[in-house]
Amino acid sequence: MMRGSLPGLSIYALVAVVAVALAATVKTDAYVANILMQAATYAIAVFGISIVLGLCGQINLAQAAFFAVGAYAVALGTVDYSLPFWLCLLVGVGLAFASGALLGLSTLRLGGHYLAMVTISFQQILTVVLINAIRFTHGPDGVSSIGRPAGFQSSQAFLALAIAAMAISGYFVWRLGRSRLGRAMRAVRDNELAASAAGVDVFRTKLTAFALSAALGGLGGGLFAGGFSYISPDQFAFADSIVLMTMALLGGVASPVGSALGTGLLILIPEWLRFLKSVPGLYLAIYGAAVVLIVIFMPDGVWGFVGRLFARAPRAPSSAAEPLMLAPADSGGEIALEVRDLAKHFGGLKAVDGVDFRVRRGQVHALIGPNGSGKTTMLNVVTGLYRATRGAVSVDGVDLTALPPHKRTTAGLARTFQNIRLFRSMSALENVVIGAERDGNRLTVGDASAVLARARSALAFVGLEERMHQPIPSFSYGHQRLIEIARALAANPTVLLLDEPAAGLNLTEKKALHDLLDRIAAQGLTILIIDHDMTLIAGVAHHLTVLNFGKRIADGATAEVLRQPAVVAAYLGAA
Amino acid sequence: MEISRRRLNWGLAATLAAPSIWGAGRAAGETIKIGMVLSVTGPAADNGKYALAGARIALERVNKAGGVLGRQIELVTEDDQTTNPGAVLAFSKLAAQPDIVAFLGPIRSTQTHAIAPDVLKTGKPVCFGGTDPKLTKLGNSWLIRFRPNDTYSGRVIASFGVETLGKKNWAIVHSTDAFGMGGFNALSASLAKIGAKVASDQGFPNQNQDFTPVVLAIKSSGADIVGSYFTFDNDVALFARQLRQLGVTLPWVGSPSAVDVGAVKLAGPALYGVYGVADYAVDSSPQAKDFAGGYTAMTKLQPDIYSSWTYDAIGVLCDAMKRAGSTEPDKLRAAILATRGYKGAEGEYNFDEFGDGLHGYNIVRNEKGSIVFDKHIEFTD
Amino acid sequence: MDFFLQLLFTGVGIGAVYALVALGFVLIFRATNVVNFAQGEFSMVAAYLMVVFAVDLGLPYWVAFLISIAGMALLGAAFNLLVYYPLRNRGFLPVLISTIGASIFLGNTTLALYGPQPQVLAGWLDTPGFQLGPIYLDSQYLVIVTVTLALVLFQYWLFEHTLLGKKLQATSQDKEMAALLGVPVALMIMFTFVYSAVLGGIAGILVAPVLFVSIQMGSAIALKAFAATIIGGFGDVAGAIIGGFAIGIVETLGAAYISVPFKDAFAFVVLIAFLALRPQGIFGERVAEKA
Repeated sequence: MMRGSLPGLSIYALVAVVAVALAATVKTDAYVANILMQAATYAIAVFGISIVLGLCGQINLAQAAFFAVGAYAVALGTVDYSLPFWLCLLVGVGLAFASGALLGLSTLRLGGHYLAMVTISFQQILTVVLINAIRFTHGPDGVSSIGRPAGFQSSQAFLALAIAAMAISGYFVWRLGRSRLGRAMRAVRDNELAASAAGVDVFRTKLTAFALSAALGGLGGGLFAGGFSYISPDQFAFADSIVLMTMALLGGVASPVGSALGTGLLILIPEWLRFLKSVPGLYLAIYGAAVVLIVIFMPDGVWGFVGRLFARAPRAPSSAAEPLMLAPADSGGEIALEVRDLAKHFGGLKAVDGVDFRVRRGQVHALIGPNGSGKTTMLNVVTGLYRATRGAVSVDGVDLTALPPHKRTTAGLARTFQNIRLFRSMSALENVVIGAERDGNRLTVGDASAVLARARSALAFVGLEERMHQPIPSFSYGHQRLIEIARALAANPTVLLLDEPAAGLNLTEKKALHDLLDRIAAQGLTILIIDHDMTLIAGVAHHLTVLNFGKRIADGATAEVLRQPAVVAAYLGAA
Repeated sequence: MEISRRRLNWGLAATLAAPSIWGAGRAAGETIKIGMVLSVTGPAADNGKYALAGARIALERVNKAGGVLGRQIELVTEDDQTTNPGAVLAFSKLAAQPDIVAFLGPIRSTQTHAIAPDVLKTGKPVCFGGTDPKLTKLGNSWLIRFRPNDTYSGRVIASFGVETLGKKNWAIVHSTDAFGMGGFNALSASLAKIGAKVASDQGFPNQNQDFTPVVLAIKSSGADIVGSYFTFDNDVALFARQLRQLGVTLPWVGSPSAVDVGAVKLAGPALYGVYGVADYAVDSSPQAKDFAGGYTAMTKLQPDIYSSWTYDAIGVLCDAMKRAGSTEPDKLRAAILATRGYKGAEGEYNFDEFGDGLHGYNIVRNEKGSIVFDKHIEFTD
Repeated sequence: MDFFLQLLFTGVGIGAVYALVALGFVLIFRATNVVNFAQGEFSMVAAYLMVVFAVDLGLPYWVAFLISIAGMALLGAAFNLLVYYPLRNRGFLPVLISTIGASIFLGNTTLALYGPQPQVLAGWLDTPGFQLGPIYLDSQYLVIVTVTLALVLFQYWLFEHTLLGKKLQATSQDKEMAALLGVPVALMIMFTFVYSAVLGGIAGILVAPVLFVSIQMGSAIALKAFAATIIGGFGDVAGAIIGGFAIGIVETLGAAYISVPFKDAFAFVVLIAFLALRPQGIFGERVAEKA
């Protein structure tokens, strides 16, 4: 994943340098130069879409608006205010970045179609303003005689500049996809809840994706303005946002290569179809039909389609992983996790109603109770997915009650989910890496190779290191559970929370899980476990807290609690 | 009877479609090539069709008369998709062909602006139809205009309304695109010069779905005449209908689109009695009538502004090539600019130093659905 | 005051058009959880069908109307089979792009077949309108408002009081459950597309006498109808209707009292305000994801 990219990278750099050199030296006619200029500047904007949509899974139907922000900054700056090109470009990219972040703020509360509509609205409003704020924008006339920087006055030199910018942006997006931030974005795209539980600040990640995407849009637009030296509002309309989005999807939104390919195709296809021009509309009709066909038959875009033809089998690791070390943070106190008077009400339903319990350091503590007794709700309140109605939660003496989920992960919680929540588009290793690189993991702080090593160790700990490069859907249900546990372990938590880890496992798998829990406990990691399998619970738990109807009905050492009549009654009554 | 129109559309499409290169001279590369950027797709596609037909008529006449410099003339076309980037690509694609000696550019001002940098680079004459006055003042001497620019349309509308109709209190309705804004500025400046005033400035976005607020504002403004600059036929027709429905019967003098064939057909009685400026009017001159004859014979349609300027542009270009005795860009440009007293379908071409060939407009009136010539107003300053 | 009433009438008329198109959005959204960006093109195609049958071929209005509606039903079915159905299990984005492709296809195919000139289509009534006190009532707007309200009532009856409606509702709420209960889900979705195409078609035919028939007529309306749908709370029929009327009125009054050039921005400003203050829409409910 991270190694093996070096030869690819050198080839990429070589191709980029050759392309820039060719653009700078070979004389082309104006038509070819214009097409290349359009393709290069659009491609930069489309790279932006591959960040926000491809990596982060958020829809943005306003990329042409961000493109316009960059273009107008350069146009108005060089023409009306006689500012240097580079400064204008910088301002344009900055403004696009800021407006992208502003739009990204709406992702705090909105997703899907609502987000689509917010971005469409931004696009429409900006178009109307560009047309009508004539004093400032020159209105529908557009801006002509846009300046270029010294040294790039000729079209050819400027084209070389645009292609270089495209190559660098493409590299940046490719790198981003493999960085911690890029992984966080993909985690958000695949599963927001799991991402926040794994320590990813979901909102900030989306915001960053929007802002970066918009900044690339602004960069493309600024270069576009310099390249064509004339811009007008009708070049940056909603329809153009659709075109940019289609370019990304057509080529393959997941990779910058695909995005560039899609851009090239969608600029060239209408040009190739010009021979059909004699009947008005015919070639755009064919273009529309082609979009439908490609979406249907090439779900990952043209690049994804090509990529699958040449897919290499993932290599097994060459060296053995280090044994996993669980070294939970320890402030020295006896209590690792404390829950005081915790309540969660959904309207009139009191799912959890004033529960207290304390989890001692190094112990396996089980939370049991019949169905609907409030166990999973309790876990969700503890990890911050639900806000507590009342009460407090603290880890290692630190009060977490007011923190969002990812901050609680930073503070030392790690959890698994009853219905497995993995990042399904990623490999097992990548899933676990996201766990390993959580903030506050003092074993891996700021050290990429330590993160990788720890992720491998965690996978080795659950016995899946051999298959670490395989994608999640290729694993059995039981193995997916193990990967989820490995992800939590890699985070080196203070307290591990397991939500029904035995659910859906067969007998052999349950046995293996039991062994695994014993091995974890042997390293002194504190565990809070929920499960219905009383054999497992009785085998691993030192301490039991029993809930029924949202209230605690028993608490104490395992053997003792299981003998209490109230507990027996609750179970039998419920059964 | 309506079927005939349908057949005509297909017929026109088919005749225009056949080869993409026009002209009789198929004799082995001996032709003189003229490039043409036009809208085949997008909202202005119909106008592109008319423009091509106009150019073709001139071309056939020139070729039938033996061509120019002993060679036949050929037209090479590219679609601008009615968009600015489309126009840039279409023009640069043509510009890349070294044997093209001159070009017919777009009729829309924004598209002319968009291709202007490429025109300068190409360094060959580009005849265009956009009416934004600035276009010939960009310092780009290769842009040569074959329609009167908006300062003239504004002056003609103002002078006709104020001096002939005697109305001094104007409501100006205009689209907020480049054409509408340019027109509004020209008209209001001309009105100010002759002592009339703008009582109400009503800009609207193109493809508007309702003009009620505009009409009500005109009604309450106390204006005694309406001036207009519209871009799209359906906007003209919708405004006309709502204006009449809401009981406004003021005289109306509009830019060419108010008396455009398409708008007149869509609006029906709502546009009866409306005056418009037209660079082209059938009855304005024998040359105009002659063009109409040829155009109707070819397309079964009435000619309008979209076809007349391309007809004239081909005519002037060929005339200039003959006089220059060459197709070399500099000589050709000089010959075009030296054109004096060329009687085209639109009027008399006398090029000034900026590259503007026409300096006046016809006033026409919608007489129960047919367009009749009223008078020609020409300026010499 | 007279002006205000006149504006209000116009706003309601335009709003009814938005509402009618919004209804088509809501239906498809409820059944499939996707937005159909070609909904506006349904209106455009139907208007052109009317021009062909009623104007060019000179058939009586009602005959032409029935043929056009039948054509729209076929289009809806074909749309479902070719544009939606192959992507039904692929989430909302691919479908969205696919409908965008379809809308480009429909618009330009119509352009290729019919040419770019806007066309005239007569309305149902012979009188263009009449004066009621100080207000001029455009008869076509009266028709539009009436038909919109009638269709809303029809839809209410269909969904609440027929077996077909119950099946449609079951499909839109939980496809797996509906399938287990023996509801033919694929057929129900097919019906939804057919019905939405017909609704969009009716909207197009009704609005054509006002706005003329042009390739672009559908897209501007559809975008605002989409905004209306969101304001109404996605998937809520009553909300979409009220959202449609609200946008029509706000837009017309905004144009009159604030600015005509900025008119096309009002719908979206209102929308953003709504999403910021009440993201669940007028009637909609926010559904939280469960852990």
